[in-house]
Amino acid sequence: MLNTLMEAFALISTWEVIIALLAASVYGLVIGSLPGLSATMATALLVPVTFYLSPIAAIATIVAASTMAIFSGDIPGALLRIPGTPASAAYADEAYAMTRKGEAELALGAGVWFSAVGGIAGTLSLMILAPPLAEVALSFSTFEYFWLAFLGLMCATLVARSSPVKAIAAMFIGLLVACVGIENPGGVPRFTFGFTDLFGGIEPIPALVGVFAVAQVMRAMLTPEPPPIPKRKFGSIMAGQWKLTRKYNVQMTRGNIIGIIIGVLPGAGADMAAWVSYAMSKRFSKEPEKFGTGHVEGLVEAGASNNASIASGWVPSLLFGIPGDTIAAIAIGVLYMKGLNPGPTLFTEKASSMYAIYLMFIIANLLMIPLGIVMIRLASHVLRAPRSSIMPVIMLCCAVGSFAIGNNMFGVVTVATFGIIGYVMEANGYPVAAMVLGVVMGTMVEQAFVTSLIKSDGSILPFFERPISAILAALAIGAVIWPVVLWLWQRLKRKSPAATPAG
Amino acid sequence: MRLPDRVTGSFLVVLGAAAAYGGWLLPPVPGQPVGPNVFPLVIGSGLALCGLAITFGIGSTFEEEEEIIPIEGGAVRPPPGKLYGLRALLPPALLLFYVAVADRLGFIITAALIVYATATALGARWKLALPLAVLAPIGIHLIFSKLLRVPLPIGLLPMPW
Repeated sequence: MLNTLMEAFALISTWEVIIALLAASVYGLVIGSLPGLSATMATALLVPVTFYLSPIAAIATIVAASTMAIFSGDIPGALLRIPGTPASAAYADEAYAMTRKGEAELALGAGVWFSAVGGIAGTLSLMILAPPLAEVALSFSTFEYFWLAFLGLMCATLVARSSPVKAIAAMFIGLLVACVGIENPGGVPRFTFGFTDLFGGIEPIPALVGVFAVAQVMRAMLTPEPPPIPKRKFGSIMAGQWKLTRKYNVQMTRGNIIGIIIGVLPGAGADMAAWVSYAMSKRFSKEPEKFGTGHVEGLVEAGASNNASIASGWVPSLLFGIPGDTIAAIAIGVLYMKGLNPGPTLFTEKASSMYAIYLMFIIANLLMIPLGIVMIRLASHVLRAPRSSIMPVIMLCCAVGSFAIGNNMFGVVTVATFGIIGYVMEANGYPVAAMVLGVVMGTMVEQAFVTSLIKSDGSILPFFERPISAILAALAIGAVIWPVVLWLWQRLKRKSPAATPAG
Repeated sequence: MRLPDRVTGSFLVVLGAAAAYGGWLLPPVPGQPVGPNVFPLVIGSGLALCGLAITFGIGSTFEEEEEIIPIEGGAVRPPPGKLYGLRALLPPALLLFYVAVADRLGFIITAALIVYATATALGARWKLALPLAVLAPIGIHLIFSKLLRVPLPIGLLPMPW
């Protein structure tokens, strides 16, 4: 254990890792703070760069950039009432109300401080949860993997903030995308329509860049530019945070726990965590009437929550290759590229790399406090950059980055296509995150499904025979039936008031 | 580009049915009960069912309208004309333009055109767009070609490094 820890320290104390961590932190802070550029997009655009780094440095950039971006999304939320990332949208109103009351320092300070606390809590959950789960997962067969993947896909659709039917449809579209290519049980070209470029399948990374980055530039074309931030001087940012920590101890812990749980659930990420935690905070608050008028309580809970979800999102990703959120989905792609294939054996064979990941999360969250304070002080300058100068650079990064993945132009075509798909889906209420989950997990789901079918020789009994697989199956089937029950119940409820006066 | 659920739902029905049919046509693996055809069949049927449900408006009651936070003191939105929505297609179109001409014109020139077009479309004046179109491609070229050794197309204008 101590030996592994020492090895992990040695792994991360190289110049490459340190520089990568710092550079990615600054990058994450800047991208996260710019309205319209999300943490997922920051991470997706980073992937081409990670090709040229060592495995640990590559993971360091993703960890640092995503952690920082989730916090710095709070900055324009508090100063402009425009969330920098969707994860800050839940409490942007509240934070802005505080700024108008003259408490901008307190709001932003709470953002930094409780984000860091949440991030570390999430990391602890990763350290504590993952190894014992890996022990259990070592005995999993394809049946368990099938149900697990099924459950993961269903979770993504349940937690989406849109119609579950549309979420399931989006997930199916993602799985269909994963069907393309010759990497299937028969090794035959499937849905390639004769294009040799499609034989290798559709790379998840350009698809993700398209859905998250190009679609965003497309939306920017139709929305008005946010106003520039007013110049202002800030007082001490960290003053009063310790007092808040003591006062809202319970809220902070609850936020951490909710964030961890939502992070572990596949497909649900930081934005969901923030919405749920903010709502919970209001529900259980002693003074709910203060919410919305610039009350820090909800900020504490939701800020602690969204950062906790980032680290815990890596638990299912590292163990099963099932992404806990969209950022983890990208991380999985990088892990595969770097020869750190997700699976329970990672924790036994590559234990030092795992410890290195924990360490990097802790370092990134500690680093967030000083860097975050600097960022807040510089925010009025950074946020002054007009959108018309940032979006063109994003476009170039999309083109070059997607080209770099396979050094062929087909990647750029993929990015453009998925930009359109992502834009149309989002505009019509189909959650993009569910599709992404399908794209990333498709190959694995199919493999588990088909191998299980072959093993069971056409019978469905073996899918339920093993104890763990029976439990997972029950959960998965419950997840399918739940929306139907909910729908029927809503219908009955709507019918009954209409029926009572008549009867 | 908000389309009625009926339209997107019907599209999904067609897509799902096509996928299922396409999967069904695939050759099975000799001697095995299941092959590459099973998964598309399942996915396609599922997608078609979802499409049907969406067409008939099942589950739409769960949808939450996205809250649009009004921007205080923001730019006045230009009156959306008939073709205004088509502006959204500019980014993917520019990317395809890159695919089409980058090999001939080279990275720097193509990238400069893309940057200028995007910046102008987002309302930048030429005073901002022009320097950006010169500097951004060079910066990106420096990072990706020099540092990361991505073989970007040289074309008409080779860089000195």
